[in-house]
Amino acid sequence: MTCTQSKTLVAAHADGELDVLRGYAFSRHLRTCAECAAEHRGILALRARVRAQAPRYTVPDQLRARVLASVEGARDTRRPSPERGERWRWATAGAAAGVLATLLVFAGGTTIVDRRAREGLAVEAVAAHVRAQLDDRLIAIASSDQHTVKPWLSARLDYSPPVQDLPDAGFPLAGGRLDHLAGQPVAVLVYHYRLHTVDVFVRPAIGDVALSQRTLRGFNVVTETGSGMQWVAVSDASADVLGGLVERLAAGARAP
Amino acid sequence: MEDRRRFEKLVLPHLDAGYTLARWLARNATDADDVLQEACMRALKYIESLHGEQAKPWFLTIVRHAFYDWCARNRPDELAADDGSAIETAADDAGIGPEQAALARDESSALAVAIASLPLVYREVLVMRELEELSYKEIAHIAQIPIGTVMSRLARARALLQRSALLQVIGAQRREGTR
Repeated sequence: MTCTQSKTLVAAHADGELDVLRGYAFSRHLRTCAECAAEHRGILALRARVRAQAPRYTVPDQLRARVLASVEGARDTRRPSPERGERWRWATAGAAAGVLATLLVFAGGTTIVDRRAREGLAVEAVAAHVRAQLDDRLIAIASSDQHTVKPWLSARLDYSPPVQDLPDAGFPLAGGRLDHLAGQPVAVLVYHYRLHTVDVFVRPAIGDVALSQRTLRGFNVVTETGSGMQWVAVSDASADVLGGLVERLAAGARAP
Repeated sequence: MEDRRRFEKLVLPHLDAGYTLARWLARNATDADDVLQEACMRALKYIESLHGEQAKPWFLTIVRHAFYDWCARNRPDELAADDGSAIETAADDAGIGPEQAALARDESSALAVAIASLPLVYREVLVMRELEELSYKEIAHIAQIPIGTVMSRLARARALLQRSALLQVIGAQRREGTR
């Protein structure tokens, strides 16, 4: 064992990287080679100083709470498992959202909360839209007839979503399905616009939220409130097109 | 749901380890917070991919990636190819935050300052070995470098630290002498 080789071996030995046999041979070498022994002592001494003086940090409680809240609050972008644990999941999500809301109120005011809530809604809507496309289950009830789609949806929900076919405006109704948004089953109207598919989530409105628009992962999300319903359109079609659609739907639903 | 349980079981025990790495990479608490938060969201997202491997190096790999991504956005200069020549000027590098400057005033943590002043490629290897107590193989996996490179970087990091320690001793002796 020459000492030019040993330079690396000294470190490997000090780091506990040598197997038993080589480790044994090397510790014998250390007893006879002053140079390697000094090198070895140097590494051990440095390690002792590093561990004594360079802190290993502990996550502060506040940060831990934030991490836990965001983990709890994270919406699954993958397919949900509605068959079990759904209630618990939404309950904890609600709790996390509550914590988040409190923090945000402290930080700035209710406008931020609204914006944040809308953002969460948009993220969920996009996730649901993508999921449905991937699973090829965009449409559970295929019909351009609002009198077919509406009862199908009403029978599966505790509200009756207004359903309109709008072929003249360029939005032929393709059908509908059920999905989930903010922990509640929600009606989705599926429209075609040229080569695009548009999902419109319809649910009873909570408050009157004005028209808003967002772009997420290349999808446009446009939200409108009208006639006690909230309309959330998601598509890769342009935001203007979606805006036109939800305004029409919200307005149309106001008419008797 | 299932993912969150797995996250709590597998990742939470290594949160401090992840935070320690983030702190030593980012070198200040605020940025380390951001890095750890981002890392946790990624860990949750990819928790399904954690199978039959150690959770700690897996999570630290994510923390390191989160830091490099953060760094590319916020301190691109720091990621410039670094052969260690920067160490000569690293002591008065602007990259050292006020926290390190405050530490520097405290003689007992002069070594912590010396570590914080190491160029990134040496610092991360040293922290992973001496503070996180990871094996060469784990470090190689996390930093995506061959084991031989882990060993040479570690040797360089140690040499730099020992030299800076030596300089401090000499400096202290000089101050004694002029008194």
